[in-house]
Amino acid sequence: MEIKRLANAALFKNTEIKSSPRILVELIIIAVVFILLSFFLGKPRMTDFMIFGIAVLSYDLIYGYMGHLTIGHMLYFGTGTYSATLFMKLVSPNPLLGIIAGILAGALLAAIVGSLVVRTKGATFALVNMAFNYVGFFLVAYAWADVTGGEDGMASFTGTVGPVNLQQHPLWFYFVLSCLLLSFFLLKKITASPFGVMVKAIKHNETRIKFLGYNVHYYKLVTFVIASALAAFAGTLTTINYGYIAPDYLSPLRNEELIFANLIGGAGNIYGALLGGTLYMVMKDYLSIYVARWELVLGILLVVISLKFRTGLVGFLKKHIQLRSGSGR
Amino acid sequence: MIESIMFGLTIGAILYLVSIGFAITFGTMRIINFAHGSIYALSVYLFMMVLPYVQNFVLALVISVVLIIPLSYLIERYIIRPLYGDAVHYALVATYGVLFATTDLIKWIWGTNPKLISVPTKVTLQIFDVDFPLYRLIIIIVAIAVFFALNLFFRKTIAGKVIVAALDDSTGVRCLGIDQYRYFSLVFIIGSVLAAVGGIIYSPIVSAEPYMGFKFVLLAFAVTIVGGMGNLTGAFYSAFGLGMVIAMTARVWPRLSEMMVFVVMAAVLLIRKEKDFS
Repeated sequence: MEIKRLANAALFKNTEIKSSPRILVELIIIAVVFILLSFFLGKPRMTDFMIFGIAVLSYDLIYGYMGHLTIGHMLYFGTGTYSATLFMKLVSPNPLLGIIAGILAGALLAAIVGSLVVRTKGATFALVNMAFNYVGFFLVAYAWADVTGGEDGMASFTGTVGPVNLQQHPLWFYFVLSCLLLSFFLLKKITASPFGVMVKAIKHNETRIKFLGYNVHYYKLVTFVIASALAAFAGTLTTINYGYIAPDYLSPLRNEELIFANLIGGAGNIYGALLGGTLYMVMKDYLSIYVARWELVLGILLVVISLKFRTGLVGFLKKHIQLRSGSGR
Repeated sequence: MIESIMFGLTIGAILYLVSIGFAITFGTMRIINFAHGSIYALSVYLFMMVLPYVQNFVLALVISVVLIIPLSYLIERYIIRPLYGDAVHYALVATYGVLFATTDLIKWIWGTNPKLISVPTKVTLQIFDVDFPLYRLIIIIVAIAVFFALNLFFRKTIAGKVIVAALDDSTGVRCLGIDQYRYFSLVFIIGSVLAAVGGIIYSPIVSAEPYMGFKFVLLAFAVTIVGGMGNLTGAFYSAFGLGMVIAMTARVWPRLSEMMVFVVMAAVLLIRKEKDFS
């Protein structure tokens, strides 16, 4: 039944992607929403939101689509921040080159670590990733302190692209917005492609896919590398955005933000990831002013979500809309 | 060198006490119980709160362990039990939420600064011409005693036998019509008590800090993986082995000693292809 549902979904998605005007409309809607929001919340804050949105999208690919929970995703985010900063400091101050260097570094690390960790699945996968994340954190925060600035972190210097200063705000906002739209578009393409259908099938029944003769290891590894590279991308943008980096960006404890954003929006759904990411940031920015024990509330919410509210906001909305139009099963 | 070996044995003893409950939960139910870390951390802070009132190390230990039992029951009953047999990651996220919430609770009540607890006995023994604190020897003896007591429990009692059978073949036990979950909550509480005891007797050696629960869940996980899933004797040996790894690395590179544990774990994962690591 699952496989049948999946095949239907794949068929549906394929027709969706063939009508390319639709994805164009979606991209325009997202852009308009974020630009409108920027008038209320301010461009710097919306930039933060969008960078976090890219990170959540990357997490959604690995957790929502492939069904592999990991608690070590911040390792690749952090690799992105540190590689981009070091590249801009030591090689070339051009931020575009820095972004590319950060993405490549994240992808390379993911290819090395990934070939080891994708052999596992389920809880082991989650915790082995967390262990690697701790190793990375220790290395950056203590062992390589001469290069990375240790626990204090370091300032990052961003140069200009020719005569253009990318860091200046109206331009920087639109640059990050286009980065978000690009990531969204890429994920949409990937998840609708045959490759993406395969990845979703792995989520539902990995053993069966193995039986059918597909190389599951390859699909898992490639997905892992893509998701990690995307996370590194978000990391490089963070570097340029704040102009300062600290080992905090590599801390496995921050991974819970990604899990939370993903679950509250609805895992396995790109819109859910975007919605969850934005919602989480709004909550973090505004609720934490009023609620002193913000992490306590977050922890309890995580428990409630995983027990009672698993489909997330998008699933919740879908169910209600379906019920109202009478097409719900 | 002998000092390092003794230090390794001490850490191994603590690792064993802390990870045995985790290993049972993971082995039988395939549930990663992050809440184990919150039990560990909370018990240490409770102990610190009780200690000034009773002025007796052992009595304070008993009181705080007794206080932790209802809490561990509540966690098992209302958070973990509804998730038995469910997809692995929901239990992981739920217990992760518990750990996160309790860590913040600790920060709220007791503050973020590391707290020091004084060692109950300052007596040192002469072993091979090296001064060795009696307290550490007691820790090692406690762990070995717990090992034998648990062995007895698993061999001689019905609850223990059911758990051993469930570790081997959970479905088979269910087919026999045995309600393993009932026995399981008993063992869950035993595991929590051992984690609390381990945390408390370790607290005079290291300082207590709110985030220690996270670290110990990972260490317990490493012990479980290296020892072999569902292998309780293996957990004993792997705990002492990893304790040695920590102690030996600490001689050369103190800050990265715990990192070596994960390197060993990664190596074990690579070499040994377990049938299914889910």
